[in-house]
Formats: sequence, structure tokens, C-alpha cells
Amino acid sequence: MREIYEGIIKSIELLLSLDGEIYRIILLSLYVSLTSTLISALIAIPVGIVMGIKKFPFKQGMIRVLYTFMGLPPVIVGLVVYLFIRRSGPLGNLELIFTSAAMIIAQTLLVTPIITGLVYNGTKEGGEKIKNLAKTLGANKTQTMILLIKELRISIFAAMVSGYGRAVSEVGAVMIVGGNIRHHTRVMTTTIAMNHSMGQTDMAIAIGIVLLILSFIVNSLLYRFQQGE
Amino acid sequence: MDIQIKNLTKTYNNRKILAIDGFHIPSKSFLGIIGPNGAGKSTLVKIIAGLDTPSTGCILYNHEGLNQRINRNMTMVFQKPYLLRTTVYNNIAYPLKLRNINKEEIHTRVQKIIGEMGIAGLQHQKAWTLSGGEGQKVALARALIFNPSLLILDEATANIDPSSIYAMEDAIKCYYENNHATIIMVTHNIKQAKRLCNTVAFMNGGVIEESGTSDEVIYNPTKEATKTFIKEAFL
Repeated sequence: MREIYEGIIKSIELLLSLDGEIYRIILLSLYVSLTSTLISALIAIPVGIVMGIKKFPFKQGMIRVLYTFMGLPPVIVGLVVYLFIRRSGPLGNLELIFTSAAMIIAQTLLVTPIITGLVYNGTKEGGEKIKNLAKTLGANKTQTMILLIKELRISIFAAMVSGYGRAVSEVGAVMIVGGNIRHHTRVMTTTIAMNHSMGQTDMAIAIGIVLLILSFIVNSLLYRFQQGE
Repeated sequence: MDIQIKNLTKTYNNRKILAIDGFHIPSKSFLGIIGPNGAGKSTLVKIIAGLDTPSTGCILYNHEGLNQRINRNMTMVFQKPYLLRTTVYNNIAYPLKLRNINKEEIHTRVQKIIGEMGIAGLQHQKAWTLSGGEGQKVALARALIFNPSLLILDEATANIDPSSIYAMEDAIKCYYENNHATIIMVTHNIKQAKRLCNTVAFMNGGVIEESGTSDEVIYNPTKEATKTFIKEAFL
């Protein structure tokens, strides 16, 4: 209990200390997680909607694969991305290894199936009715897609919140492809893992609390946006 | 809009649920489609509305196949309509927004139709707070606001209170008389078909058993299945 109490005190001290390193870690975490969630959303929302309303060959098989990918272990994703972007890998010339871009790629791969699956489920429930309404009122394909996104916004935001949650709390993949390099690729989760392994539990708890507070703020903003109708 | 149905079939899981060799719905006619459950009425109107595809055969709209121009000129109101997650006003204005009509024109037309349908007081209400009858009126207003040449009503007045039914019937009748549109109405209510339609088709087992003027089909049916259905409906 004492350690948790000290962690809370430490987290307040950290936030008030205006220590540049801490704020860099927080900002990089937010940047990586929000960017990967946004990229994933841009891919996953249309894909999830199309999967929910269209019939096509091998759809059932694809859905099974999608559900499997929703539970991908981050270390596996990190390892696969690492094998591709390491210096001797097929994408080595892009020099992405141990950069924030590599972390975004890994998190995008993790988050995209989650958002796709959740959007697909939401679309499966009500998408057909919305599509039929759009068609009977004379909407073209683009207008139908816009209407579907508007009407399914609650499911879509819920999916994005889940995706962001996965991204911000993930440690395995960003550790492998980012390398937890100080002032460069160190994010909150890797800082927690590092401090814990170094025996600095109070620091780990402090960063953990900051992570929780930030998650709460971002989710509250998304929730407020979702409710604002 | 003139509708011609040619050799239309629909098969689900190797079961033929619709088989219409040929049927003509002349422009400006008000056709009532009656028949028992599972007769294929809803499947037929869904295919006409372009929401389902036939297994074989085709439908011609003013002698041409379904395209975006035809699609923009027809609409369908369902038994359980989907209302957009916004206000009544925005729901009714939506088809006009799709057609890039300016805000002033949209406002004028929405105010006119909600006044005619007696739902002016609901315009700022969120759609999900409406009762079944109110929601159905909003769906009808939304369908009529862009003056479609073909209006399809799939049991649009089922499961709502009598006063709402009469209000909707008045609006449909008024629209038909003023716009000379083609209207196809699926209904279980024979009396409603008699009140509104000038022609009636009786469907059973996926085929149109009998069709003619509403008086002919309702009062002097020739087929045994039609006689039984109408007799039971009037009981």
C-alpha cells in the first residue's frame, strides 16, 4: 500500500515538476497511440462497414480471420514488423527501425483488426436498414457511405475508443520495434516496464497513474463527442 | 412511372418464392397488392424498389432498366421505417439535401409538408422519441417531399393507431391526386385497398393470381384462392 501511495505522490510531483523528459514521454505516447488509432480508423471504418453490408465470396472465412487478428499478441506483431524493417529486412532501406514511425506501424497493425471487427459488428446490426433507406431516398454510393458512418457513429466511436485503449496500453510491440530509446522512442508503457525491471516501483506506479489519467481524459473526450447529439 | 415486369423469378435456397411471367403497372395507377403472408408481396416490391435482385427476369421503368436517375425518382416506405438519429426536421429534409437543394427551398418544402401532415409540432423533436404512428408519418413525409414518380408502400400503415392510419391515407390520397404518381401499396387491409387503390392484384404462392380494378378483385373475384382470402379478410 505504501508503494502505491508513494507512487501517487510521485506522479503528482512528476506532473508538477515540468520535467522535459516526462512530458516528452507523455507526448510521444499520445502521438504514437492517437496517430495509429487514426490511421487504423481510416482503414477499418470503411472496411468494417463494407463487410457488414456486402455479400462476397469467402466472407465467413474472412470474418474468422478478422476475429483471430483482433486478439493478436503484440509481441508477435512487434516481431513481424521488426523482421520487415530491421536493417537487413526487406524494408530495411526505409530506416524505420527504432523510430516512432515503426511504433505507429506496429500499433496500426494491432488496432486495425479491432476497429474493423467492432465496426463490422455494429454495421451487421443496423447497416442493412440504413443502406436500404439511403437507396430508397436516392442516395448514391458516396452519400450512402457518409450516411452509414453518421448513423453508426456510436458503434464507430466505441470501436475507436477500444482501439485507442489497445494502442496506449500496448508495450510488447513498441518495445521491439521502438527499442525504448531515451529521448527518442521511450513511451509510457516502456518506461513503466523499464522502471519495474530496474526496481524503481514508485516511478513505474507514477507513470502508470499518469497513463491512466491520460487514458481517462482521452476516453472522456471521445465519449463526450459520441454523446453530443 | 410505367412499370413492366417480365419473367420475374426469385429463388431462395432452391425454393422459388416469386414467379411472375408478366405484369404491367401503367403510369399514374394506384395498385394495391394483397395476399396472405409469404405470398411474395414484399419480395416483389423490394425488387421493384431495387433493394433486391431477381434470380431471372427484369423490370422496366418507363421502358428502361433501373439506373440512378430512375432510382432518384422513386421511393419506398417500410412497415418499420428507419429514422435517422437526428431531428424530425432533418429526417424530412434529408432527401432534399441529397439533391443539393438550397436551404431556403428545403425549409419551405419541409414546413409545407409537415403542415399538411399535421406534424409541425414535432419538427425539433429527436426521431427516437416519436411514437410508432408519428414515426410512420415522418417516414411518409420524408418519402413524399421530393415528389417521387413511384411511391411504394410496404404495409406502411400496419401496426399504427386508426387516427394515424386515416391521416396517412389522406396524405397518400392527396399526393396521388395532385402529383399523378404511380403508387404501389402492399396491404393486408382489404378495406384500405378499396378506399385508396384503383387497381388490385392478389398474390399467392409467389404468383399474381388475379388482378383488375379494386371492385372487380374485391367484390367479384374469379379465383378460388382470392375468394377465400377476401372472405376471411372481411370476417
